[in-house]
Amino acid sequence: MYYKFSGFTQKLTGSAPTAAYSPQGLRPGVPAESPAMIFATPTKVVSEAGSMVEYLGANRVPDLQRLFQTSDGIPIHLKRGVPDRLLYRTTMALTVGGALYCLVALYFAAQPRNK
Amino acid sequence: MAHQAHAYHMVDPSPWPLTGAVAALLMTSGLAIWFHFHSTTLMGLGMALLLLTMYQWWRDIIREGTFQGHHTPPVQKGLRYGMILFITSEVFFFLGFFWAFYHSSLAPTPELGGCWPPTGITPLDPFEVPLLNTAVLLASGVTVTWAHHSIMEGERKQAIQSLALTILLGFYFTFLQAMEYYEAPFTIADGVYGATFFVATGFHGLHVIIGSTFLAICLLRQIQYHFTSEHHFGFEAAAWYWHFVDVVWLFLYISIYWWGS
Repeated sequence: MYYKFSGFTQKLTGSAPTAAYSPQGLRPGVPAESPAMIFATPTKVVSEAGSMVEYLGANRVPDLQRLFQTSDGIPIHLKRGVPDRLLYRTTMALTVGGALYCLVALYFAAQPRNK
Repeated sequence: MAHQAHAYHMVDPSPWPLTGAVAALLMTSGLAIWFHFHSTTLMGLGMALLLLTMYQWWRDIIREGTFQGHHTPPVQKGLRYGMILFITSEVFFFLGFFWAFYHSSLAPTPELGGCWPPTGITPLDPFEVPLLNTAVLLASGVTVTWAHHSIMEGERKQAIQSLALTILLGFYFTFLQAMEYYEAPFTIADGVYGATFFVATGFHGLHVIIGSTFLAICLLRQIQYHFTSEHHFGFEAAAWYWHFVDVVWLFLYISIYWWGS
């Protein structure tokens, strides 16, 4: 069995006799027959794993593009339907209510304080 | 869209400019009401409305760009101009606070003891946490550049990891700065030293939080496949803003923390 230090990590790995680590520069003689070296199956690289592997969820952009490009005349801020409408109505309620509350508060704040 | 004979974006009518304007009215009036009548209701209402406006307005922009394809090259150019001009306006904003600092520190008045730092002020050691903060932000500048290159090269996992690391570094900076604020031997009320220190670094900290939030949105979008290797302006805008925040810190560190100590 021959060994060398792997290029980047400098970990001990199996090696062919001719590439083996020989610090004293003595080239080992080629053995009559070297045993077959079996290494653990390397982990699969994602790019080789096929199209079904996904990282943190699948791509839903094409579906969303289809949804938002339907020509139904609905403006962008309501295009998703119910959740958009709910949020819009809440925001509008706060806007109108808030504006009125503000005017009332400022009216009272503007009253002179009688000592 | 199929029906227009030009490459520009004619936006759908939108309620968000109105709600945003009302939010500004409520926040400013609410501030006055808080000061004079000790009630935070109006201001809180304004802040809630502001958050709702920001969320829905920017959500709509994402829909218009990523899902409807309205962000053609000329439109994107306009968005780039817009972001550059906005960041330039922020530069001028900070310039004012630096002006204030240099005005007071270059010619310290007799009331301060004729010296800077003023008599009685023990400034923070610039080579302790502030130096760490500098390293953290510089490192985050590297990671955000790494994220950009990952996006351009179509490396999904690396882009997500480097962007997440950038955001973590941003949070780490905010945490460290919060600790510094808590432990500082002087306050904002400690004369012009305290005032210039906390107003300048405080606004900077706010911008770090805003920048981290912008980057976090970009992380969510990257995970959801919004960015392509050719078209990812939202991320570029966030990265520009982040570099701006980093540069402001460098000026703060050199001027206030180091020269001013």
